[in-house]
Amino acid sequence: MKTLKHIIYREWITRVRRKAFLLGTLVAPLLIALGIGVKIWLASSTDEEAKVLVVDASGLISRFEDRLDTWVPICPDCFPERSTVTYRFAPESLSDDDFVTSDFDLMVFFDDGILQHSSANYFYEKAPAMGTTRTISNDLASAIERFKVKRDLELDYAAYKRLKTSIRLVGEDVITRDGNATGRALIGFVFSLLLFLQIMVFGMHVMRGVIEEKANRIVEVVISVVTPLQLMTGKIIGIGLVGLTQFALLFGLSWLVYVVGGQWLEANEWLKTSADSAVSVDLETWMANQSELSFLLDVNWPLMVFAAAVFFALGYFMYACIFAAIGASVDQESDAQYLMIPAMIPPVLAYILAASSIENPEGDLAIYGSYFPLTAPIMMLTRIPVGVAWWEVLLSVSGVAVTAYLLLRVSARIFRIGILSHGKKLTFKVFWKRLKQRN
Amino acid sequence: MEKEAALVIDHVSKSYGTQQALNAVQFSVPKGKVFGLLGPNGAGKTTLLRMLNGITEPDSGTISFFGQSLSRHHLPRIGYLPEERGLYKTMRVGEQALYFAQLRGMEKEDARAKLMHWFEKLEVDGWWNKEVSEVSKGMAQKIQFILSILHEPDLLILDEPLSGFDPINAQRVRSTIQELSEKGEATILLSTHDMGSVEEMCDEVALLHHGNLILQGPVQDLRDNARDGQIQVTFQGTVMEFTVAIGASAELLNVVSDAPRVGEHTAMLRLSPGTEQSAWIHWISGEMKITSCSEWQPSMRDVFMHAVEQTSHSVS
Repeated sequence: MKTLKHIIYREWITRVRRKAFLLGTLVAPLLIALGIGVKIWLASSTDEEAKVLVVDASGLISRFEDRLDTWVPICPDCFPERSTVTYRFAPESLSDDDFVTSDFDLMVFFDDGILQHSSANYFYEKAPAMGTTRTISNDLASAIERFKVKRDLELDYAAYKRLKTSIRLVGEDVITRDGNATGRALIGFVFSLLLFLQIMVFGMHVMRGVIEEKANRIVEVVISVVTPLQLMTGKIIGIGLVGLTQFALLFGLSWLVYVVGGQWLEANEWLKTSADSAVSVDLETWMANQSELSFLLDVNWPLMVFAAAVFFALGYFMYACIFAAIGASVDQESDAQYLMIPAMIPPVLAYILAASSIENPEGDLAIYGSYFPLTAPIMMLTRIPVGVAWWEVLLSVSGVAVTAYLLLRVSARIFRIGILSHGKKLTFKVFWKRLKQRN
Repeated sequence: MEKEAALVIDHVSKSYGTQQALNAVQFSVPKGKVFGLLGPNGAGKTTLLRMLNGITEPDSGTISFFGQSLSRHHLPRIGYLPEERGLYKTMRVGEQALYFAQLRGMEKEDARAKLMHWFEKLEVDGWWNKEVSEVSKGMAQKIQFILSILHEPDLLILDEPLSGFDPINAQRVRSTIQELSEKGEATILLSTHDMGSVEEMCDEVALLHHGNLILQGPVQDLRDNARDGQIQVTFQGTVMEFTVAIGASAELLNVVSDAPRVGEHTAMLRLSPGTEQSAWIHWISGEMKITSCSEWQPSMRDVFMHAVEQTSHSVS
């Protein structure tokens, strides 16, 4: 046991102290933070102040106000005073030269055509921000909607608003009372993807580690001290712990970025439900208002992280046994290529099935895939956020654990024979022979 | 006899498929001696050494280690320097040395103290914090040698321990091996093709060929037994004159021209049965100018070659 501990520690420490490991682990949370930061910046960005001249030649949305001696919108609510966009109205456009010398940033042409093809032209000297054009587009749409309601329906706009109905479907699991299954299945898929990548990356680490020991001729010294089974198990566990360390750092740092970043954003009043809102909110409220991010709040994160750790440990162990046996059977990495193809089919298949299960997380494909041991670790993670019975998780975990144990026994046999065999051309026949060989 | 033996190999056989790697091999290694395990490539030496390290098991036969049946729990008492050896390139020298010492069951601090001693003795100190990829091949060889003796094993198995060393470091390692043997700290099983080292270091040898034991015994006895009555004569004159001179008194085996310009040659010959050696030397000295004459002492290389060739001929 003490020997195994030393092997595990060596495998772990020699990898986690590499610069590439630290870099790879730190970059992911920073990218997440950067992504959220960009989103917040885009959402709360005040943009540059834009003064817009709306040329309403047809007088559909503006009228001349004698008292003020200027053109004003028929619907003042449609063009509210904002810090980012201010409107002026005119029946005639400015010449290009006049526009350039004026203090207007944009000149929008509002004519009869807008009623037919719902588009309006605008001119600028300096291209406006996307937020500015979106605001103008929304304001104009609102104004034209009022115009149409009044002209075509002869209805009061307030009455129209009361009649106008949109339906939002809200799903709810009859047992768990949870909703938004697709959103949460998406999170499950992200975890599946991470697990798939981790299994592939760290499984390859195991294979390369074994090949390196064979190529360096160090293996004979090592297995004169420890048994091949101890060496293989220690290597698999040690490298697996590197994966779990990366998981832990990834989630720990992401959580830290979320908490500290959220507090900083709240303290600096960056979080507003809309760009022109004066009131700052906390991060959760802000996220709840963002359609792209709100489903993140529906996920049971501690459960997901725990399930990911368990399925990573088991799934990785299962595949690492196969990769270790492949590594022990070849002299160099290039020889391993064609043995890797059959070994990689189940996880790749599981990944494809997981991706196709996002839209139907409780379909037959997802359910049976989450029971079959070779695809279960990846598939079950897609289902867990949607809601899975405890016995299903237990069945899945047990199946993977038993398969991992059986693969360990089989792989250890191949490993023991293969690790000291050099120069023999590896075929499936040789692989099978080693499997049957006693010593 | 067997009570004094560090190892008793008793009718050990091993085959891989149709290939017989070892065929009922039996010999014993006396305690406290340097024992040479010799044989051409493919003789079965590595298979036997791997058995002694628990890497493989015999198909039949037994191996006793200091009177007990060899098992994995004896491994901490065995030191092994395989011919195929290496180090982890991405680890530091000291860290790696500690790792292997701990794998052999040593406590970290004890291992550190002993490593410091050996590093200083074999002039590896100063490399403790270097990455293995930075050290030279010879330096790595010394580190590997230290790792095999660090835990003070009762049996030290060295497979080609001097390969890759320059003459100075080879001598340093050779002296260390002899020192360990003289102090009685370890029984040493030395597998090598370097017959000079065998003559210099080994007390006894066993010679394997095609998985069979073909020769065994103390080095000096084997060399003496191989004398075969041959004598070596260096003479001046022509080979024809020498051939005529010896007539039927001896069988001329071969002649080497040492200094052709002055007509000096060395001849190997075997005296005819019944011819007394000192009388023959006195007689031939009167017939030819003899520079030197001595009984031929075969080297271990000669013993090795002769035994292997003889076995090969008898097989064919």
